[in-house]
Amino acid sequence: MTHRIVVAGGSLAGHSAVAELMALVPDADVVWVTGERHRAYSKPALSKEFMQARNEIADLMLPGIEGDLGRLRIVSESCASLDPSGQSVVLGNGERIGFDQLLVATGARARMPDILQGVGGVFPLRTLDDAVAIRESLAGKPKVVVIGGGLIGCELAASMRTLGLEVTLVEQLQSLLERPFGGAFGTYFLDLHRDNGVELIMGGMVERLAVDNGWVAGVKLADGTTIDAQLVVVGAGSEPCTHWLEGSGVAVDNGVVCDTYLATSRPAIFAAGDVARWMNPVYGIQMRVEHWTNASAQGRAAARNMAAALTGRQELRKAFGDVPYFWSDQYGQKIQMVGWHQGHDHVELDRSGEAPGPLARFYRDGRLVAAAGINAPRIVMKLRRQIEEEARALQAA
Amino acid sequence: MKIIVDRQRCDGNGVCMGIAPEVFDVDDDLYLHVAENIPEDPELRARVRQSITSCPILALKLVED
Ligand SMILES: Cc1cc2nc3c(=O)[nH]c(=O)nc-3n(C[C@H](O)[C@H](O)[C@H](O)COP(=O)(O)OP(=O)(O)OC[C@H]3O[C@@H](n4cnc5c(N)ncnc54)[C@H](O)[C@@H]3O)c2cc1C
Ligand code: SF4
Repeated sequence: MTHRIVVAGGSLAGHSAVAELMALVPDADVVWVTGERHRAYSKPALSKEFMQARNEIADLMLPGIEGDLGRLRIVSESCASLDPSGQSVVLGNGERIGFDQLLVATGARARMPDILQGVGGVFPLRTLDDAVAIRESLAGKPKVVVIGGGLIGCELAASMRTLGLEVTLVEQLQSLLERPFGGAFGTYFLDLHRDNGVELIMGGMVERLAVDNGWVAGVKLADGTTIDAQLVVVGAGSEPCTHWLEGSGVAVDNGVVCDTYLATSRPAIFAAGDVARWMNPVYGIQMRVEHWTNASAQGRAAARNMAAALTGRQELRKAFGDVPYFWSDQYGQKIQMVGWHQGHDHVELDRSGEAPGPLARFYRDGRLVAAAGINAPRIVMKLRRQIEEEARALQAA
Repeated sequence: MKIIVDRQRCDGNGVCMGIAPEVFDVDDDLYLHVAENIPEDPELRARVRQSITSCPILALKLVED
């Protein structure tokens, strides 16, 4: 009997899962509903190499799926809903596709505050089309305002400065990259961007846009100042794409709620990547991780657990425990973070001189939970293994 | 199984090392070292393939024996 597996989501989590399912379940038909008119591509490069015109669209495409492609159908539509019976999805064009198993890998989308919508020259950055649109508007050497001092905002500011554009960055808080790095590096990021010529407006509240003939002309702040702008790029965070699951009975709470096996609250439905909030046994808490490496590893892990259920090969079934990892690249500085620092009660800056750049360790109840480093990949990776080993020892105890 | 690194592209972000540290090692000069001989272990080889797909700059290529 052939099984039908639907994978929803055409980025890295979906790609890793499809590749693994094709290899492990030889008799399955796989329908990959991508929601994309492009093949799967590298998102991290969009704000970095691609924005700096150091590579082109063709360089971003992930390798094709291998195997018997007769069993794989790729559909560029989106899933509009999941049937409450939990046995079929309905696509945007009305087509209904029944399944034995479903993987939800629909990721996240950029958050765009209402006051920033509907004006020319104002862009979020989440997709290849966003990145192409931003790149196209760079030709006239615009004056750029970046809204948001998170990862996307800071990387965009760095890329725009690397291209020699005039850049102002507005952030509500008094520090940059507060959420990803938990404030561990003090003023390091402020200095880095200032030294590279970004005008920083810290504690700045955007009130509205100044508009001229439908195009952005400036950004007005709550304190009454206006910053001139011909291009505004927005890094205001993201939200998981779970709207299509409403009413389906799949439990959603800031992401699709999953157990340690990446199984959702409904039988035969799994989730992976930015959309999934799963119980991470390494930390014993629910977390939703929005990193490239996680999307890859989770897509594969979910596929293996799905294959175990379909084929009865129990050796494939495994809890997914992970120490999250991500990097950022700004002005050639390699900034890396491992672990989960939320809820830490103590940060320690390493002054031993062992690391070639700044290094921070995060602790909770005396246990190492995360580490961040700049230009220190080896020691950061060593700490990642240490976090993993300590967690394993704790579980065994 | 042999891995080819495009040195023009690789920027040492260590994603490959995060997935298969047995095979990939980025040093403090951000230079990527790749193990000469990759053990036959199918689980490891699957992760090596996954590293190649996950390299955000698509700097890795695989040559199967
Ligand atoms: C500009 C940028 C830079 C980044 N840089 C880094 C970095 O340096 N390091 C790092 O670790 N991470 C980085 N990230 C984060 C990383 O890209 C994400 O964690 C990763 O893309 C998550 O992959 P995913 O497959 O879970 O989901 P996504 O990449 O969000 O993809 C979701 C997919 O689902 C599809 N989809 C959505 N809704 C539906 C639907 N209803 N039906 C069918 N399909 C649907 C979409 O079309 C898309 O294909 C960056 C992200 C961006 C946007
Ligand atoms: S993931 Fe790619 S770019 Fe990063 S270190 Fe490995 S080969 Fe180099």
